[in-house]
Amino acid sequence: MVNSPLINTTVAAATSHAVKSYGSGDGTIFALNDVTVEFVSGQFTAIMGPSGSGKSTLMHCIAGLDQLTSGSALIDGVDLSTLSDKELTLMRRERVGFIFQAFNLVPTLSAEENIRLPLLLGNKTGDTEWIKKVIDTVGLTNRLSHRPSELSGGQQQRVAVARALATQPRIIFADEPTGNVDSTTGTEILTFMRRAVDELGQTIVMVTHDPVSAAFADRIIFLADGKIVDEMLEPTAVKVLDRMKSLGT
Amino acid sequence: MLRIALKGVLARKTRLFLTSIAVVLGTAFLSGTYIFSDTLTTTFDQLFADIYKNTDGYVRSTQVIDGGFGQEERQRIPISTVDLVRKIPGVSGAAGNIQAFARIIGKDGQPLGEDGFGPPTFGASISDYKGELWTISQGALPTKPTEFAMDDVNAKKAKFAIGDSVKVVAAGGSRTFTLVGIARHGQARSPGGATFALFDITTASEFLVKAGFIDAVLLQSDGTVSDEALAAKITAILPPTLDIETLTGAQITKEVQSDVGEGLSFFSTLLSVFSFIALGVGCFVIYNVFSITAAQRQRENALFRAIGASKRQITQAMLVEAIAVGIVGSIVGLFSGVLLAQGLSAVLRVTGVSLPPGSLIFAQRTIVTVLTVGMIVTVASAILPALRAGKVPPLAAMRSTALDTPGSITRRVLIASAFAISGFGILLAVILGADNVLLGLAILLVFIAILIAGPAVARPVSLFIGRPAARLRGITGAMARQNAARNPKRTSRTAAPVLIGVALVMAVTVLASTIRAEISDAFGKQFTGDFSITADSNFFGGFSPSLADDINALPGVQRASGLGVSVAKISISGKDKGKLVTVIDPLTVEGIFDIGLIDTPVTSLTKDGVFVSQKAALKNSLVRGSTVAVTLSDGSLHNLEVQGIYVRDQLAGNYTVSRQLFDETTVSRFDTAIFILKKDGVQDSDIRTSLNAAIKKYGTGELLSKSEYIKKQAAQVNQLLGLIYGLLFLSVIIAIVGIIITLLLSVHERQREIGLLRAVGMTKSQVRTTVRWESVITSLFGALMGILLGLGLGWIVIFSLRDQGIKRFTVPTTGTLVILVLSFIVGVIAAAYPAHRATKVDLLDALAMT
Repeated sequence: MVNSPLINTTVAAATSHAVKSYGSGDGTIFALNDVTVEFVSGQFTAIMGPSGSGKSTLMHCIAGLDQLTSGSALIDGVDLSTLSDKELTLMRRERVGFIFQAFNLVPTLSAEENIRLPLLLGNKTGDTEWIKKVIDTVGLTNRLSHRPSELSGGQQQRVAVARALATQPRIIFADEPTGNVDSTTGTEILTFMRRAVDELGQTIVMVTHDPVSAAFADRIIFLADGKIVDEMLEPTAVKVLDRMKSLGT
Repeated sequence: MLRIALKGVLARKTRLFLTSIAVVLGTAFLSGTYIFSDTLTTTFDQLFADIYKNTDGYVRSTQVIDGGFGQEERQRIPISTVDLVRKIPGVSGAAGNIQAFARIIGKDGQPLGEDGFGPPTFGASISDYKGELWTISQGALPTKPTEFAMDDVNAKKAKFAIGDSVKVVAAGGSRTFTLVGIARHGQARSPGGATFALFDITTASEFLVKAGFIDAVLLQSDGTVSDEALAAKITAILPPTLDIETLTGAQITKEVQSDVGEGLSFFSTLLSVFSFIALGVGCFVIYNVFSITAAQRQRENALFRAIGASKRQITQAMLVEAIAVGIVGSIVGLFSGVLLAQGLSAVLRVTGVSLPPGSLIFAQRTIVTVLTVGMIVTVASAILPALRAGKVPPLAAMRSTALDTPGSITRRVLIASAFAISGFGILLAVILGADNVLLGLAILLVFIAILIAGPAVARPVSLFIGRPAARLRGITGAMARQNAARNPKRTSRTAAPVLIGVALVMAVTVLASTIRAEISDAFGKQFTGDFSITADSNFFGGFSPSLADDINALPGVQRASGLGVSVAKISISGKDKGKLVTVIDPLTVEGIFDIGLIDTPVTSLTKDGVFVSQKAALKNSLVRGSTVAVTLSDGSLHNLEVQGIYVRDQLAGNYTVSRQLFDETTVSRFDTAIFILKKDGVQDSDIRTSLNAAIKKYGTGELLSKSEYIKKQAAQVNQLLGLIYGLLFLSVIIAIVGIIITLLLSVHERQREIGLLRAVGMTKSQVRTTVRWESVITSLFGALMGILLGLGLGWIVIFSLRDQGIKRFTVPTTGTLVILVLSFIVGVIAAAYPAHRATKVDLLDALAMT
């Protein structure tokens, strides 16, 4: 168990002895092998690890996109394995935000509709003030009526960030959010995410393999072979690179 | 490349399967049509060969009048001819033969057989002659004027037993006979569902036709000379005044077979027309599927191009796939046709036409035609998409998404306009007097214009139709609307089968409702009585004229008048023409049935006179006092004086004569309807009671009030309409399959999007809603375009009938609404499976795709 250095210590999401395995008997492959971790509110966590280390699987299982073989995953104290498909969907819609690497947006909807998508799906208006603030923060005010195809890659990712923030979720999961954009845009997006945590009090868990991106986080968890092998607080890119070298990845 | 192409085909079995379905449906109907009509023809050929197998010669009159509409009447010959034939050396036996209208009344008082278009009801002769067409299978031969036999099937159906008293209606009126025997017609228990009442020849002659007359003489040879020689001999020996001809057994068999064959060929032509419509609709589905899959495989093809495949090789690979689909689809379709043919036979059986048992005929022509047509249709539908696939630039391999591109809308609209303008130009020319034949070309041009313009209008129209969905269903509806509009080419191609189906249904509906309106109008104006009694026998048989006389004698009846039709040959300025003439009773018809005579009282028609329609009078330069030579079906010639000209010819046709004309002829005449004017102050219910009692005595006939009668006449169109709707149903099924396939492919293409939506909180039911509304919008788009085209088509057809007296154009409001509702339902049904598949999209797989 890792102790958080922050004062606000509400747990937004957590796993306990999470196991995700494929196959059975001798051929069993463990994508996650007994992972216990907590994500505290108001914190920006990065999950790092080499390909096949289980970092994406861990994120998918906590986010309710995939099911654990054993152990439990909780969001807001709710054990996801107890939820039906519909309840899980509503959980994702209302309490979780997502930013994916690419193809984040529905091509037939405008930027604004994409931002409000989770709210629209729930037939809700949401907190208008908040949404306005989010849109201002990501700097999309004059791009709202555009279709995704009319936006640059960076703008599309900003729309995705805004969508993730729109519902004021308990936790936001980002899967390589800068993997598909150039480094300048990447930095811009990471800065927004950082500001969302610092200024808007959001909680973010980000999967990445890039030390520079990871350095934007408050805390980094290192995964290898489905296990948590290390953790780092207040990281910098140099520290992360060193640690990665020492972990042999 | 061929190996790669074939591997590709096999690797995508689902796609192969989906594309094949469209081919299967189209070819199955064609195959079923062929198998069914071949089977039917062969069965009837065998039936008649069997019936006439003991007949070596057939003597009949040479005089025949063709009244059109398949109404052919041959003159009858004297019954004494039988004896003359019997005495001729070489003839071992002979018997008279009669087959005419008769209707058997069941135990419940209802006449046997179907009303309307059902199988006919006959009366016929039977004797102990060795070559008799009918054989008694149970009981005895009828030999007395009070006895009769009937066919096996209908006797069983009506639960008659030997010894029962049964009422039979025929030209001679209504009589009760004792059932003494059950008979079979050759091997068949009953031919084609027709009912038969059988009498000895004298009774048949007197009761069914006219005493002393028969239809023909059947004879058997003693085998000393050939049938041909015997026939020639008989014709030579019999007095020329009889005007007879002698056919050999083989000739009469062949003649009957070809007569029936003609009737059947109309039926199979009708079926073929609709199976080709279905194939045409199938073409659009095949074309659409190939276009979509080509678009989805753009990257794969671009990769092939990048590593060195030529354009031709890409196109060839697509065509190889088309050939594979064509072969698989046509073969499956060929065999599905067998099932369909069995289904058709079953439908006929249910509707009362029992076919003699026989195995299905699977002719070589069926196999060759179905496989060829299936292959050609498939490959032809795939050519454009294949050519387009070849044009993919190698660079497209690097692009992430590639949909089929909308192309230039302006060019599309321009080309479509060119077609539309030339279509309308031709239409205008026809309105201004050009030949009606050009209308077909106009229709074709406008249709092509609509197909070309489809993608250009698909987006705005889908957005318009989808508006309520977006309003009603929030974001899911809005997304469905955008999905339907996002790929206008695909939407319009998917909607094309719906469009064609709806356009045809709409045109037929317009035509039907117009004709219905015309009929109601004509009957409403011309039938001025209070009640009618109808025979519902479609030109064949009807009421004995004595029924009208009986009704006239009833208290409460002011006047009743019978109306009938008869076949006659009209000779004007040296030209003979077979016609159906209307027969009225001039003494009673006044104030009941009004044909709009100009300045002439209807009572002035004598037995030597004829009323002529204004149209026919103008055409043949006839005036009052002119003479028209009319030959009746018994061969008697009458020079009739034109005694009046009338304007309302919708019901009466061109020639109207008096029933007295027939009094001294051997023509068996029926009334097909009796119109009744009640006395003032008589209660409807009272007169109904006494009229029903009179009808009961005769056994057949339905009593209707004026408004009921008019409604019923108009409703006759519905039967035909039902048949056409039924045949168009297959096109609708193909349209549904087309939507299903497109949606499945679209869902497959949008997996990532669906995965994303599911991740950010779209429930499964919302996913289904989105797919369903997209389907509904597509279907409604097709329906809307189809309705417009169908209205135009209907108008054109009606316009081309303007010379036939149809002048109005009725837009069927209810019909249109029903079509819209049905299209909505079609959309919902078609979406069911694709929507289900969409919910099965694996979230992680979808999100992992880049």
